[in-house]
Amino acid sequence: MKKPERRQSMAERRPSVSVIPHLAGLEKPQDHSLKLDHCDVLILGTGLSESILAAALSWQGVEVLHIDGQPYYGDHSSTLTVDQMKKWSSEVNQGKIKHFKDAQVYIPGGKSTNKFNSKDYGIDLSPKVMFAKSDLLSLLVQSRVYKYLEFQSLSSFHVFENDNFSKNISSTSTKGDIFTDQSLSLVTKRYLMKFLKFVLQDNNDESKLKIIKENANTSIEDFLSKTYKLDTPQINELIFSIGLCNKPNIKTPEALLKIKRFLVSFDVYGNFPVMVSKYGGPGEISQGFCRSAAVAGTTYKLDTSIIDFDPESKVAKFNDGSAVKVNEKIVISPTQIPKFLNTEYQDLISSKNLPVYNITRLISIVKRDCSEWLSEHESSAVVVFPPFSLPTENAEAVQVIIQSGNSGVCPVGQSIWYSHTTEQNVDKAKDDLQAAFEKMEASILRESSTADLEDVLDEKDFIMSAQGTPVLVNSFKLGKSLQNFVPKDKLEIVCKIGYVQETLIDPSLSNILNASESNNISLADCKDSQDIIFTNMPTSELSYDGVVSDCKLLYSRITGTDDDFFDVDFEDDDEDDEYSSKTGNQARGSVPTASGMNHNDNDNAIADSDDDEDHHEPFGADEMEL
Amino acid sequence: MSEAAERFAQFKLVLLGESAVGKSSIVHRFVKNTFDNMRESTIGAAFLTQSVHLAESNTTVKFEIWDTAGQERYKSLAPMYYRNANAALCVYDITSRSSFSKAQDWIKELKKQAPEGIVICLVGNKVDLKDEREVDEQEVAEYVEELNQEQSSAGAPAGKVILAECSAKSGDGVLETFNVIARALPVEDAVGGARNRQLRNKRSSGVDLSRGRQQQQSQAASSCC
Repeated sequence: MKKPERRQSMAERRPSVSVIPHLAGLEKPQDHSLKLDHCDVLILGTGLSESILAAALSWQGVEVLHIDGQPYYGDHSSTLTVDQMKKWSSEVNQGKIKHFKDAQVYIPGGKSTNKFNSKDYGIDLSPKVMFAKSDLLSLLVQSRVYKYLEFQSLSSFHVFENDNFSKNISSTSTKGDIFTDQSLSLVTKRYLMKFLKFVLQDNNDESKLKIIKENANTSIEDFLSKTYKLDTPQINELIFSIGLCNKPNIKTPEALLKIKRFLVSFDVYGNFPVMVSKYGGPGEISQGFCRSAAVAGTTYKLDTSIIDFDPESKVAKFNDGSAVKVNEKIVISPTQIPKFLNTEYQDLISSKNLPVYNITRLISIVKRDCSEWLSEHESSAVVVFPPFSLPTENAEAVQVIIQSGNSGVCPVGQSIWYSHTTEQNVDKAKDDLQAAFEKMEASILRESSTADLEDVLDEKDFIMSAQGTPVLVNSFKLGKSLQNFVPKDKLEIVCKIGYVQETLIDPSLSNILNASESNNISLADCKDSQDIIFTNMPTSELSYDGVVSDCKLLYSRITGTDDDFFDVDFEDDDEDDEYSSKTGNQARGSVPTASGMNHNDNDNAIADSDDDEDHHEPFGADEMEL
Repeated sequence: MSEAAERFAQFKLVLLGESAVGKSSIVHRFVKNTFDNMRESTIGAAFLTQSVHLAESNTTVKFEIWDTAGQERYKSLAPMYYRNANAALCVYDITSRSSFSKAQDWIKELKKQAPEGIVICLVGNKVDLKDEREVDEQEVAEYVEELNQEQSSAGAPAGKVILAECSAKSGDGVLETFNVIARALPVEDAVGGARNRQLRNKRSSGVDLSRGRQQQQSQAASSCC
């Protein structure tokens, strides 16, 4: 409201700023208490949104002080070692970490039988995968934060159905064969083709708009079966594996956007729709943005929390004994809310009647590389259990990200299974996750177990092919035995971690994508002081969708607009030139810079409805053959 | 591009040390051969790169240099900073005793956080201010000696703490320091690695976003119809 004019950008301020080094003369390095007397914006919590915000603000010349109550980066989306995870869990159960509950850590065996090095693991509290065409990816490139990170492709998506896993995408997939069952009838193929063309059509196309409007309240399941006459297997694949939706009754417009983001992400960087960052997901990306923010002048101090804020004098006091005048706003992550603001926060939630959503997670670290589920040369995969596919009659999908040792999150030969569900009944959710774990356990044991098959099959079941290799004739016997397979082996487990996270963000992300003062706490005014802004907990989304939009809401609230969000010209900075010689670091004018990036890309991948013409269609409907 | 016999190796080097000892100045002298008395405390958006050529093995060693960006001030360096670091330049100011003891703390921190086998170079900056010297060369040498012995008696991989002094202001010793580090690095293991990262990526299904970006743009340009 009373926001002054836009501050000059960092680049504009640089010439004058550079005369006096930031904090010069004030600091005794590695000090235990903060040695600065003011900042423009104080951010509490180094989660992903908050870290992107810190970087965005400081590159526009805003002086940011960024602190975290924990001794590590990432806050509610951190990447932790096993030991950190144990400590975190006990703090959750003691009520010290808000918005998480029911934390359990199970480490089987004694120290002698279950030996592992805690530091070899990077466990994400809020694991996510990134679509190749998405706003976060564009931002990573535009901000150059991607240079601090390594990305790996993910092309294997498995759907659990009829007690079995089918795989619909792999690194060898081509545009035509994203569907498991290649023996589809001609009619089905034609309808499928028609549907995919429809999805990929320009969202502003009048005929498409009309159909979307007509089906605004139709569930995607009905839409696919009625309008496109598709059968359950294809419908399930489209909704749960390609669309990564949680429920079959998701409204058509939302589901269509989700299906589309998958299709347009294919072939952007290669034959895969999704990527993961190495060594950890949001926790790693937060660190990257914090580093970017630090380069632009943000001051960082971990293991520090606020103990008082006076709305009149705008002075914040910290538990290290220091005090800082905050010129503009304080941004507070829900896990970092100080005692003196607790009531304020709760009142805000109840006055707006904001529903709280549960996300239940089960993370299992297993001593298997799970290569059976991974595409060649890859180290991550997604497994989806559609609704009612588990013995627990799960009402919502269970989504699992599998990451093996080569993704840097655990030792080679092991893997981490991150499963979660948005089932709101927490007890039910835990049962669903455990059931999904058991299905995966049984599957990995039987797929990797060759010894047991020998007991089932005898020589008569094989014939020799012309090349002299044995061919199985009695597949019925094999299939039956696999259905009733009782593993002799046991899956060795390093540890299992379960917890429940709360968020005020609807699983459909509707209150980020159509945020208002009445549905999103970040836009709501705090009674105590208009200078206090609360952020949101991570969403239940498997992808990073919503993160950048969420961040822009915060940015706009602080600066008045998001027009200059990361509008930074990095031209003068070093471009990693592979063949630079001794003097090769100068003279590089032609490098594509942030200003050359397509700003439309910043619109949320789900939300965007008008950017079709600016982009190629990697998954071109016209070339598509089924 | 390059002559057939010339070899490339790329390494990540991280800076450490108390604020205001001249970490960034050393890098600026090395990379841009300039010195700015009143430098801002940060450099660049990502990291700087500079290469040295080792004539004896006809190898170009390229350093990817990560600055602390001020995150060292309150000990807030992220795990990402140390990850895959091949070398660390631990800087103190020869005119400040306390900066030398802080440098020793940073070496302890490195032993905890950094990958095994990292090459550590302990470098005293500001030798142009000889008259104000507070840190005795002999004392530093003894400390490093002790450190290296400790390391070898602990059975750890060959301890490689290198000792150097320089002046970012005059430029004395800067290039030499990086040359010594380059020679101490496992160049043989990393040869071919001007494209290390890409090779690594290829093996582990890594995605090169900078390449994708160009590709993305050219595709967008050609298929906009």
